[in-house]
Amino acid sequence: MAAETGTPTTLTLKSNDDELFSVAESAAILSVTIRNMVEDGCAGGVIPLDNVDGKTLASVITYMNGISAIPADEEKKKSYRDKFLSDKDFETLADMVLAANYLNMSCLMDAVSAKIAQVMEKKSVGWVRRKFGIENDYTPEEEAAVKEEHKWTFEGVETDDDN
Amino acid sequence: MIKLGLKSRSRRVVQESFMDVEKSKICLGKSKNKNRREEIGENRSDSCWESLPTELLREILMKVEESESNWPARKHVVACAGVCKSWREVMKEVVERPEVSGKITFPAAVKQPGPRESLMQCFIKRNRTTHTYYLYVSLSQALADDGKFLLAARKCWRTTCTDYMISIRADDMSKGTDTYVGKLRSNFVGTKFVVYDGVPPHSAAKMAKSWSTRMVGSKQISPKLLTGNYAVAHISYELNVLGARGPRRMHCIMNAIPSSAIKPGGTAPTSLDYSPTNPFFRTKSDKSLAIHLNSQQEDSLILRNKSPRWHEQLQCWCLNFHGRVTAASVKNFQLVASSENGAPGPEHDKVILQFGKVGKDVFTMDYRFPLSAFQAFAICLSSFDTKIACE
Repeated sequence: MAAETGTPTTLTLKSNDDELFSVAESAAILSVTIRNMVEDGCAGGVIPLDNVDGKTLASVITYMNGISAIPADEEKKKSYRDKFLSDKDFETLADMVLAANYLNMSCLMDAVSAKIAQVMEKKSVGWVRRKFGIENDYTPEEEAAVKEEHKWTFEGVETDDDN
Repeated sequence: MIKLGLKSRSRRVVQESFMDVEKSKICLGKSKNKNRREEIGENRSDSCWESLPTELLREILMKVEESESNWPARKHVVACAGVCKSWREVMKEVVERPEVSGKITFPAAVKQPGPRESLMQCFIKRNRTTHTYYLYVSLSQALADDGKFLLAARKCWRTTCTDYMISIRADDMSKGTDTYVGKLRSNFVGTKFVVYDGVPPHSAAKMAKSWSTRMVGSKQISPKLLTGNYAVAHISYELNVLGARGPRRMHCIMNAIPSSAIKPGGTAPTSLDYSPTNPFFRTKSDKSLAIHLNSQQEDSLILRNKSPRWHEQLQCWCLNFHGRVTAASVKNFQLVASSENGAPGPEHDKVILQFGKVGKDVFTMDYRFPLSAFQAFAICLSSFDTKIACE
C-alpha cells in the first residue's frame, strides 16, 4: 500500500445521493477504484462515487475503517468480516456486492458473495426466483427435467436390509 | 490493476444502462467518470437483485460451488441450476467434469468418465427380494455407510434373455421414461452381456452442434429422435483353463471408448446427457470434448480381469483390493486394460474398475477414467448375473 506516513491524508467521498464522507486515505485505498484515482492525482477534491448510495457507502466505510485497523492477521480479519456481515439483510447484501464490485474491493466482494451463497442455500428455488426477479424461463418439458434432476439430487433410497 | 478497474466500471454499465460491455469499454477509454455521471443514478431499480450483472452473479454462484464441495450439501449447486436457464449456464460452467474434479454433481456426470488421478469410490446395495441394485458414491472412508444415490437397476426376465434396466430414479426403472439411462442385457445362459446406452455415444458432436444452434435460436431440437439403445460394451465370461475350479475370466470390449484413451493424455468421449429424452441437461463446457470421438477405424478399449494368484497358505485365489473388499466372493474382480495389440505398458497395470463384496448384500465398486459410473455399474451387474462360477 502506498499510504503516506506522517500526517494522515483524508479523502472526501460523495455518494450518489450527495452525502459526503471523510475517510482516511489509508483505509479508502482498500478500494482499487479509489486507489487508482489517488495514484492518478485526481483525488484532490471530492471523490464522487456515482454508483453507491449514502447508506451503503456509510456501511462500506465502516468496513474500511474496521478492517484496516486490524493488523495482518487473516484469522482476525475473517472474523471481523463475518461479524460485519452477520446483521445485514438480503437487500443490503445486494447493495454491498454492487458497491464492492464498483469500488473494486476484492476482500469485501468475496466475503459478501460467500454470505449471499450461504443465505441462498437455505432457500427454495421459488424464493430465489422472487428475490432475484427471475422469470422461470423453462419450457414445461425442461421444467419436468429440472424436477427429475431435483429428485435425483434430493432423494436417495435406503434399501431394505431385512431380507 | 487497470484492467480490473476497467472491468468493474464496465460491469456497472451493464447494470445501469444495459449497454453491451464492448461499447461501454470504448466510451470508458476516454475519461474516468465525466461522461458517465449524467446517465447514472436515476434509473436505479428498486431491487438490486433484479439487475445484478452476470459477472457478479457468477461470482456468487462460484461461491456456492466452492463452499458446498461434498454431498449432501452439494445439492445446493444443483438447486441453483434449477432457477433459470442463465443460472444453469453459469452453474454448468463452474462445475468441473468428474474427470477433472473427481466429483459427481449433476446426474449427467454418471455418464461421464471418472477421475483420471484416483478411483471414484462407490458401493452397490442389493435387494434380493425386489431384484434391485442401488449404486451410491461414497462420501466417507467407510466402505458402504454414507453415500449419495447415483443409479438404480432392476432385473427383468424376458423370454430369451435377462435385462437390467438402469435408471436415475430409485423407484422407476421402466424404459421410455425420462429416468431410463440404459440397460444391461444378458444372454439366456448368462455368459455374454451387452451394455446399452440410451444415448448414442458417437453422436456427441452432432448433439453438441444442435445444442449450440439451440443456444442461438430459441427453438429446441426434438430430443425424441435420439432415443434408443446403443451397444457401448460387450462383456463375456469364460471358464479358466482349470474349468470350474479356477477363477473365471472376464473380457469387456468397450465399443464407445478408443484403446488410446488409457495412453497418457488420451481422451474418452463424454456423454453429454444421462437420458435420451433430456438433451437439456447437456453441459455447455462439454462441447469441446465432443470432438474427441472414437472413429470407426480405431480399436476399442478392451478390459480384462487381473489374474488372481493362488495363495498357498490360505488355499484360495487372491487379489489385492487394498482394503476395499472384505469378503471372498466369486464376484470380486479387478479390471485392467488388455494389451492385445502390442507390448503391455504401465497403463495396463492400472486397475480401472474393481468390484468386491464387503457384506451380505453390499459391494464396493471403484472406477476411474475412462469408464463412467454408468458403464462401471453395468459391468458390475453382469458379475452378479453370470452363471459361470468357480467352486
